[in-house]
Amino acid sequence: MVDFIDGAENVSVHGIFNWILLLAIFSIITVVGNYIGYKHPIADSLVGMAMLSLITLCGVWMERELPFNISSIIYISVIGIVLAFPSMPTSGVLLHYVSQVELLSIVTVFLAYVGIGMGKSWNEFKSLGWRAIIVTVLVIASTYLGSAVVAHIILVMTGVPV
Amino acid sequence: MPGEWIFIPDKDGQIEHIYREKTDKRILKKNPWRDLRLHGTVLVLVVIAELIGTIRIPITKDVAITIMPLIYTIILGLAFYLVKPIKWIHRKQARIAEGAMMLFIGVLIAKLAVSSGQSISLIFEMGPALILQELGHLATILVLPIALLLGFKKEAIGMTNSIGREPNVAVVVDKYGFNSPESRGVFAIFIIGTVIGTIFISFLVTFSLSFIPLHPYAYAMASGVGSASMNAAAIGPTLAAFPGLETQIEAFAGFSNLLSFCVGIYIVIFIALPLTEKIYNWLEPKIGREALVPEKEDE
Repeated sequence: MVDFIDGAENVSVHGIFNWILLLAIFSIITVVGNYIGYKHPIADSLVGMAMLSLITLCGVWMERELPFNISSIIYISVIGIVLAFPSMPTSGVLLHYVSQVELLSIVTVFLAYVGIGMGKSWNEFKSLGWRAIIVTVLVIASTYLGSAVVAHIILVMTGVPV
Repeated sequence: MPGEWIFIPDKDGQIEHIYREKTDKRILKKNPWRDLRLHGTVLVLVVIAELIGTIRIPITKDVAITIMPLIYTIILGLAFYLVKPIKWIHRKQARIAEGAMMLFIGVLIAKLAVSSGQSISLIFEMGPALILQELGHLATILVLPIALLLGFKKEAIGMTNSIGREPNVAVVVDKYGFNSPESRGVFAIFIIGTVIGTIFISFLVTFSLSFIPLHPYAYAMASGVGSASMNAAAIGPTLAAFPGLETQIEAFAGFSNLLSFCVGIYIVIFIALPLTEKIYNWLEPKIGREALVPEKEDE
C-alpha cells in the first residue's frame, strides 16, 4: 500500500518531465556514438531514438498507472513487438528509423552507466572473498551454457538449418 | 550487512517493484538530468570507446577474440568511479547512474522488441527451443556440489538455485527471510554478479563462440539470462560473430529475455528452488565441509 501512495506522485508532471529529459540525454549520447561507430545519419537515428524513447515512456508510465503488478519491461516488450508486426501500419516507418540505431550503440552507452553505477558495490564486493567469486562465475557460466546447449539440441532436433 | 543496496520489499514479495522503487527514488528526488558531470563523462567515455572501435585478437587462423567498445565503456566507467584523482564521479553520481540505468533498460528492451515483432513468425517457428532453453538455466544447480566443497552450508542453496539477479533475490528473500543463510548466499551472488557479471559474461560469450560450435540462434537465445546488462553484454559478441543474422539474433535475444522475466521466475519458484533444496539435503551430509562463515574468514 505504501507503493500506491508513492505511485500516485510518480506520475506527476515532475516525474514524467524528468524521465523525458533523461531519455533525451541518453538519446543524444547514443546518436553521437552511433555516428562515430557506424556512420548512420544523425537526423534519422535521432528520430529512431525518439521512437524507442516514446515506447519506453509508455511502458514506464503504464507500469505505474495501471493497476497490475507487471514490470515495465514486459509492457515495453509488448508495445514494441505489436508496433513492429509486419501487418501493422506502423511497422514500415518504425523499422526504417529504428534500424538506423545500432543495438550496440545503445548497449555501449547503457553499459557506461552500468559501469559507474556498479562502482558503488565495490566495497561489499571486496569483502566477500574468493570462494563466493568462484561460485558466482560458475553460476553465470552454467546458466549461459546450460540454456545455449538446450536450445542447440532442440534446434538440431527440430531440423533448423544453420 | 551494509544497507545501501538492500532495497527488496520483503513484506509482500512484489518482485517487479524492485526496479520501480529504485528508479523512482533516484529520479524523483535528484533531478538526475541536471547532473551534467555524469552525463558529460558518459559522453566522453562513449566517444573514446567508439573511436577505438572493435579490436580483434587472432588466436589461431580461424579463432579470434573480439573486444568491443561496450567493454571499454563498462571498465572505464568502473575505473572512473574507483580512481581517486577523478573527483567528479562520486557515490552520488553512481546512484544517479544506477537509477537512470533502470530507465535506459527500457530503450534497450524496446529496440529488441522491435526486432522481435519484425520476426514474429520466425519466433513462433522456434517456439519449442525458446521455451525449453529456459530450463537450461537449471544448470546452475550443477555448481551446488562445488559450493559445498568450498565450505558453504545453507548459503549454497541461495547461491546456486539461479543466476541471482533482482527477481531471484526477491524470491529467495521472500521464501527464507531476510536474515537467513540462503538469503546471504543469494546476496553474495547478486553483489559479485553486479561487479563482475557483465564483464565476465562478455568474455565468456567471446570464448564460447570461438571454441564451442553451437547454432547461432542457440547463442542468441542463451544471451537472455534475466539481467538486462548481462543480456546486453552477451549480445555484442554474438552479433559480431554472425554477420548477416543481426535481426534474428536481436529478435531471439529480446524474446528470450522477455521469457526469462515472465517464465523464468516461475521455474525458479516451482522447480529450481525445491530441487536445489532436495539435492542439498541429500548431498550435504556426504560432501559438506566444516562450516565456515566465508564472508569473514578468507581475508
